[in-house]
Amino acid sequence: MAKWPSSPDLLGKRIPRLDGPGKATGAAKYSYDIQRPGLLYGRILRSPHAHARVRAIDFSAAEKAPGVKAVLPIVDPTKGEAKVMYHGDEVAAVAAESEDQALDAARLIKVDYEVLPHLATVEQAMRAEAPKVFKEGNVRPANAQEDGDIEAGFKAAAHIVEGMYSTQVQTHNSLETHGCVCEWEGENLTAWVSTQAVHGTREGFATGLGIPQANIKVITDYMGGGFGSKFGPDVQGIVCAKLAKQAGRAVKLLLDRKEEHLATGNRPSAFAKVRAGVSAEGKFTAFDAETWGTGGAGAGAGFNPLPYTVYQWGARRRRHQDVYINAGAQRAFRAPGHPQASFITEVVVDELADKTGLDPLELRMRNLPAEAPNAMWVKYFPMAAEKIGWSRRHKTGDPTPGPIKRGLGCAANRWAGAGNKQTKAHCDIHPDGSVVMQIGTQDIGTGTRTIVALITAETFGLPVEAVRADIGSSVYPFAPGSGGSVTMGSISPPVRVTAEKALAALAAKVAPSIGADPATLVASKGRIHVQGDPSKGVTWKEACKMLGTETISVDGEWQEGLSSVGTSGVQFSEVEVDIETGVTKVKKIVCVQDTGTVIDMLTAESQCYGGIIMGIGFALFEQRVLDRNTARMVNPNMEWYLLPGPSDIPEIDVTIIDQPDRGVVGLGEPPTISTAAAIANAVANATGVRIRSLPITPERVLAALQQDRRGGTL
Amino acid sequence: MDRRDFLKTVGAGGLATGVIAPAEIEAQAGARALGPGAVPIKLTINGRAHTLEVEPRVTLLDAARNRLGLTGLKRVCDRGSCGACTMIVDGRTIYSCSTLAIEAQGKTIRTVEGLETAGALHPMQKAFCDHDALMCGFCTPGLVMAAVALAEKNPKPSREEACHALDGNICRCGTYVKVLAAAMGQPAVRASLDGPPDDRAERGRGVGGAGGGAPAQLREEVRRG
Repeated sequence: MAKWPSSPDLLGKRIPRLDGPGKATGAAKYSYDIQRPGLLYGRILRSPHAHARVRAIDFSAAEKAPGVKAVLPIVDPTKGEAKVMYHGDEVAAVAAESEDQALDAARLIKVDYEVLPHLATVEQAMRAEAPKVFKEGNVRPANAQEDGDIEAGFKAAAHIVEGMYSTQVQTHNSLETHGCVCEWEGENLTAWVSTQAVHGTREGFATGLGIPQANIKVITDYMGGGFGSKFGPDVQGIVCAKLAKQAGRAVKLLLDRKEEHLATGNRPSAFAKVRAGVSAEGKFTAFDAETWGTGGAGAGAGFNPLPYTVYQWGARRRRHQDVYINAGAQRAFRAPGHPQASFITEVVVDELADKTGLDPLELRMRNLPAEAPNAMWVKYFPMAAEKIGWSRRHKTGDPTPGPIKRGLGCAANRWAGAGNKQTKAHCDIHPDGSVVMQIGTQDIGTGTRTIVALITAETFGLPVEAVRADIGSSVYPFAPGSGGSVTMGSISPPVRVTAEKALAALAAKVAPSIGADPATLVASKGRIHVQGDPSKGVTWKEACKMLGTETISVDGEWQEGLSSVGTSGVQFSEVEVDIETGVTKVKKIVCVQDTGTVIDMLTAESQCYGGIIMGIGFALFEQRVLDRNTARMVNPNMEWYLLPGPSDIPEIDVTIIDQPDRGVVGLGEPPTISTAAAIANAVANATGVRIRSLPITPERVLAALQQDRRGGTL
Repeated sequence: MDRRDFLKTVGAGGLATGVIAPAEIEAQAGARALGPGAVPIKLTINGRAHTLEVEPRVTLLDAARNRLGLTGLKRVCDRGSCGACTMIVDGRTIYSCSTLAIEAQGKTIRTVEGLETAGALHPMQKAFCDHDALMCGFCTPGLVMAAVALAEKNPKPSREEACHALDGNICRCGTYVKVLAAAMGQPAVRASLDGPPDDRAERGRGVGGAGGGAPAQLREEVRRG
C-alpha cells in the first residue's frame, strides 16, 4: 500500500512550476497559438435577437466571398423548427483563409428571423402575465427542503432578522476564449482544444460528430483558464470539426471576447428572502428562505446549500424556484452555488449579531460545529482574528469623523474536493535514467503538470526537473476533468502508486548487484540504496543502466488512503469606504485555509491569492448587465465588465494549514467562496448600513446611506 | 504627438475616409490612401526586419501572431482593455491589438519573444517564475512586457508605481500579488530548494501586497465610471 513519505524532500515545499519559463517567454503553445499547414479560420454568426424563429438562412453571398472555404448552418430551418433563445445563440458558421475574411463572410450570411417575445429579467419572467417562452415554464419550482421544526425554531428566537438578499450574474471571463483547432486525417480527428477535460471533450466530439472515440485525439498542452466553463467541445468545437471536414483543411475557431461573455456560461444570479432567528443565548434557532435565481435560457439556478453549512441552525426550511430568461446559460463556475450561499448566510449572521449585541465573531463561535479534520473553523476563526487585529473592531458603524470609514468582517468556507477513483497513470523508466509519467489530466493553470512531476520525483528521489510529466492529451490514461477541485485528489494517488510500482520493478532489477533484498531498497537523493545505509547502493543512472534495453513500463490506479475529502477555511477583511463617493477599497484580507496534505506550497498559495482576488471581483465589480428591453448584454467586454486589476489588490495574508496525515484534497474552489461575504460584512461594519446585494457598487453604498438617513434601511 | 498633429492625423486618415473618396483625400492631404487590399509593409521586430503584405486593417498583433508566428502575446479583449497583447514600441508599452501593423513601420518593436538573451531568461521572466507570478499563463507575456518596460525606466519602483505601470493589464487567475512582487524586484520567498527545510505545520506564510498605498487615481476613475 502506497503512503506519502514522512520526511519528504520535495512534498509540501515551495517548488516553482516547471512550465513557468514556457509561459513567461511565450513559448508555451495554447490552442489559440496552434498553427497548421493551410489553416483556415472559423467564425460563428450569432442571433441579434433574444428570442426568434429562424425562417431561412441564405449563404449565397457568403459562399462567394473572398477566401471562403466552408459554410454551415447551426440551426437549420429546413429540418424542423429552428429557434434561437438568447442574444448570442449560434445560428451559422463559415471558414475562410483569414480571420478578417471569415468575419466579412459571416456578415454576408442572410438570416430571416421571426422575432418572438422574450424575457430579459427575472422580474419579467416571474410576472403572472409573462409570455410563456419556455415550454416547461418560465418559473420552475425545485424540491422544498425542511429540516427540524421551523415554527418552534422561530418561537425559541429572541431576535429575528428578515431581509432580501441577492447576488449578480458573473461571467467566467477565461482569458483564452473557448475554442479549438480541428484537423482531420481521413476519418481521424485531432483537436487542440482549450478545455479543462481532455477525456470528456473526446467523448463530446464522439457524440456530437457520431464517430468512434478511438478516432479522436484531444490535445491541451496549455489552456488559458476555464473556471468551470470548459468541459466539452461545445457548439463551437463541433462546428469547427464540421467546417474542417467540409473544407478538407485544418480550421481554427476561437471565440472573441463578446462571444465569450454571451455564450460560454456564467454564475447564475441568486435571490433570497430570508427570515432567521437567534436565541437570547446566541444560538441560531431557525433559518427560513424563499429563493430564486436565473441560469439564463438553458439551465437552472440552484445554489446549495442554504443556509451555508458551516454554522449549526436549529431548524431550516428552503423553497427554491429556477427562473428562465432569454440569456446565455449558466455553467459550473468556481465553487458553484457556494459564494452565493456564503454571502447570504454570513450577512444574515452579522445582522443577527447586531440584533443580539454580540460580537459577530463570538456569535459564530457559539454556533460552529466541534472541531473535525475537515471542519476546523473553531480553530481557524481565532487564528485569523488575531492576524487581522479583530480586537480593534468597533461596533457596526465607524464612529470616526470624516468621509473614510473603516471596518472589519469575516466569513467561512468549506468544500469537498474528493478524487475520482477511476483515475489511472502510466510510468516509464528508461535505461538511460530518464523518466516519464503519463496521465490524461490537464493543467488549467493550477500547476498540475508540476504536481505530476513533483510526486514522481519525490518517489524516485530525483530532482523535479528530472521527470517528464506528460499530460493534456486524451491518449494518456484516464483522469477526470479539472473541476470541483477534484484534480489533486484524483491524480496524486495514481501517480504515487504508479511511481512506487515502477520503483519496485527497478529495485528488483538492481537488488542482486547490491546484494540486498529488493524490499529493503529505497530511492533517495539520486541513489537507490539499502534503507538506512546510503553507501550500500548505486546511483539512479547506474541502476537504470542495469535495465539493458528494457524500459520499465507500468500502469497504476487510484488507491484509497492517499487522498481525503473536505477542506475548511476562514477569511477576514478590512475595508475603507468613502461615504462621499461610495467607493469601497479592500485594504487587507487574511486567509487561513487547509487542504489536506500540501504537495506544492508555492502553487497552493497561488490558489488562495487567486481565489481571493476573484472573490474581490464578485464582491465589488463584476456584473453581467442585460438591457431590460432587448435582453442584450450591454457590457460584453473588459472595459465595462470590470475585473480586479493591480490597484485593486489589498495586502493578502495567506496561511495554509498543512495536514500531512490526511492525504491530498483539492484547493481550487474554497478560497473564492467566503471573500465577498467577508467584504460585505466589513462594509457594513464601516458604514453602519447593510448592502444586501452584490456587487457592492458606489451607487449601492450611497443609496443605502441615503435610505439610512431617512430612517430606514435598504 | 501634440494636439495639432493629432487633429491632422485624424482628419487625413480617420474621420475623413468615411465621407470623402480616397482620391480626394490624396488631393487634400497629400497622403496616399491605402487598401482595402493588401499592401507591402516592413516591420522591425526584436531587431529583425520582416517584409510582408497585409491589409491596412490588420493589427500589429495579428500580423505578428498569424503572419510571423510570434504567438507569445495574446489577443484577449481585442480593444485595449486587458494588456495581454502588450508590446514595447520605441520604448513605450502599447496595446498591439489596437495598433495597425502599417502604423508600426519604421519603429522599434519588441515582443516577449525578444526578451531572452542567448537562451537565458530575462531577469523579469525569471522573477515571474520564481515568485509563481503566473498561473494559466495567458496574460503572463503581456504582464512581463509591461513589467520590463517599467524596470527599464524605473528599476526600483514603489508598490504604487508598479500598480500604476501594470494597471493596464488584467489577469483572471489573480496572480497580481506575486506579479507586483516580481515587478518591484522583491526576492522570492524560498523559491529554490537551497534553504533549510522548515517544519511542516503552518508552513504557508505568504504575505503579499503592502496595503497603505493610495490607489492609482486614473484606474479608480475609470473603474467607477
